[in-house]
Amino acid sequence: MGVMNQAFDSFLDLPENYEEIFDFLDEHYAKNRDPWGLDHKVIKAGVKMVWPLYKHYFRVRLFGAEKVKNHPYMVVANHTGQIAMDGALLYAAFLTQIHPPRVLRAMVERFIPTLPFFGNRVAECGAVLGDRQNCKQLIENGESLLVFPEGVRGVAKNTRQFYQVQTFSKGFYRMALIHHTPILPCAIIGCEEMYPYVYHPRWLAKNLGMPALPLSASMLLGPLGLLPLPSPVDIIIGDPIELPKELEVDSPDKEIEPHVAEIQAHIAEMVNTGLKNRRPFKERIGLPDQREI
Amino acid sequence: MNNLKAEDIKTILIIGIAGGLAQSLCKRLHAAYPQAQIIGVDSRPLEPSTLPNVTYQTIRYSRGNFENLFRESAFDLVYHLGRVSHTNLINQLSVAERLDLNIIGTSRILDLCLKHEIKKIIILSTFHVYGALPDNPAFLNEETFLRASIAYPELRDVVEMDQLASSWMWKHQNHIQTIVLRPCNILGPQIKNTFSRYLLNPWTPTPMDYNPMFQFIHESDMAHALQKCAAVVPTGIYNIAPYEIISLKEARKTLGVPGVQTPLFILSHLAEVYKRFNPDIPNYLLDYLKYSCLIDTHAIRSFLGNDFCQYTSKDTLKQLKPAQKR
Repeated sequence: MGVMNQAFDSFLDLPENYEEIFDFLDEHYAKNRDPWGLDHKVIKAGVKMVWPLYKHYFRVRLFGAEKVKNHPYMVVANHTGQIAMDGALLYAAFLTQIHPPRVLRAMVERFIPTLPFFGNRVAECGAVLGDRQNCKQLIENGESLLVFPEGVRGVAKNTRQFYQVQTFSKGFYRMALIHHTPILPCAIIGCEEMYPYVYHPRWLAKNLGMPALPLSASMLLGPLGLLPLPSPVDIIIGDPIELPKELEVDSPDKEIEPHVAEIQAHIAEMVNTGLKNRRPFKERIGLPDQREI
Repeated sequence: MNNLKAEDIKTILIIGIAGGLAQSLCKRLHAAYPQAQIIGVDSRPLEPSTLPNVTYQTIRYSRGNFENLFRESAFDLVYHLGRVSHTNLINQLSVAERLDLNIIGTSRILDLCLKHEIKKIIILSTFHVYGALPDNPAFLNEETFLRASIAYPELRDVVEMDQLASSWMWKHQNHIQTIVLRPCNILGPQIKNTFSRYLLNPWTPTPMDYNPMFQFIHESDMAHALQKCAAVVPTGIYNIAPYEIISLKEARKTLGVPGVQTPLFILSHLAEVYKRFNPDIPNYLLDYLKYSCLIDTHAIRSFLGNDFCQYTSKDTLKQLKPAQKR
């Protein structure tokens, strides 16, 4: 079986630093079981499957990797697309293209753990319920968090709202204040086009107990419609933002709101810059692009 | 109030002595306090004790002769391990009877302890009181709301008993030392509880669609913790579990009892039918097979030390294995 696996792996296009990534996973997650359910073996298998998609299908370009230092961050990004492919690609970027590698612990909505199969699989990949206590413990364990402060508002947008950053909730900032964890702003360009948006039946989402259920034209293709369109993706990492020392977890909203609005505006600006520097359509379908942001 | 010294402990009462954990505790207490008189009571039939200074009595602790026991023996230390399980007797006892035994019975025991000036009472509750809910954080500390009865009415008596003991504890903290312990799943060769039966039954479901995390404490570690509580742990509520955690699938793999691979999201809807064929699976247990309910043990570790558990969760399961094969 091992020989078969090795033979199979030799056909795969793995990241150049895959040994470093696998060593990191073994070192951090193999000895003690992660209480939130992260499984290093699942992530290793995921790297093998996702990297070819990351590199060749979505042709992800990562800008600003050198800004990430070796300590915990709260990674905050704009939320796009009907299915959270942006989170998956950002996760893959931090695991494969940042040194040292890290597993971003995505903070997910309360309904995610209730989903059969999916809830378990995202937990095995490192996702955790977006809860203040979880956040505190993860930062204390030296983990970096991934947060989309737009929440479902970010993924349930119509076509006219593409790349318009929606209002940020304040929860992420309060969580960052627990240990004054620096915030790392990120902009993701390219995920809005993966699933062509048609309609968002809010009544159906409500009756199914889901926070959002945007319908896409590709759903007409059945299970095949789950495959996202090969929209090329740019991930831009901004400069880390230190939190003011005078602010505390329980500071009043009026003191926190201006900082949250500032981060929202900053990410919106990063998104706009990213859109201007996007690969032109011809280049998006395969030709190399040499421009820099 | 100061902790009990060895010379203060002359007479000990263990309620629920027929259980495997109580038997293990009894042996430890006898070794730790050889001069102390230990009386074990239970409503179930009992074999006579073979240990010197240890006597057993079959008695229902809601009856009048139970009070006689308190009158006749000046107990210094009482262990209440007599909570009626909410599952194994489900077909034999009605909910009303369980409520009577667990809540009215516990209330009676607490009142007797106060009336007869017992120095310390240690009550065994369970981590089930927190409930296995999808929005549980990774570790639940002692201040977490007890939400089990909201989701599962059949656990009402367990939660109410815990709340009764906890509020009583604070009310009388200046008169009597009270400890409420909320251990994780206790396993061991002598323990037969809901979860040990679930794990060892090859026909019980193993979820395909969920894989919650668990903590398992060995009966010997739990007995050790109970014994140490008498001397070194002050009044309060404490979670008890080993550091290490293990996923349900790993646990069953370690035991070598894979169970029946089942999509739980379907089973939840068929639970009533399934339960008729497999009484080892009460309704509430299905959620414990879906969502983690891990407990934080910082409070108890500050008194018992970080190494009070000799067995990890995996070691505990390995210990269960030989017992199963016998």
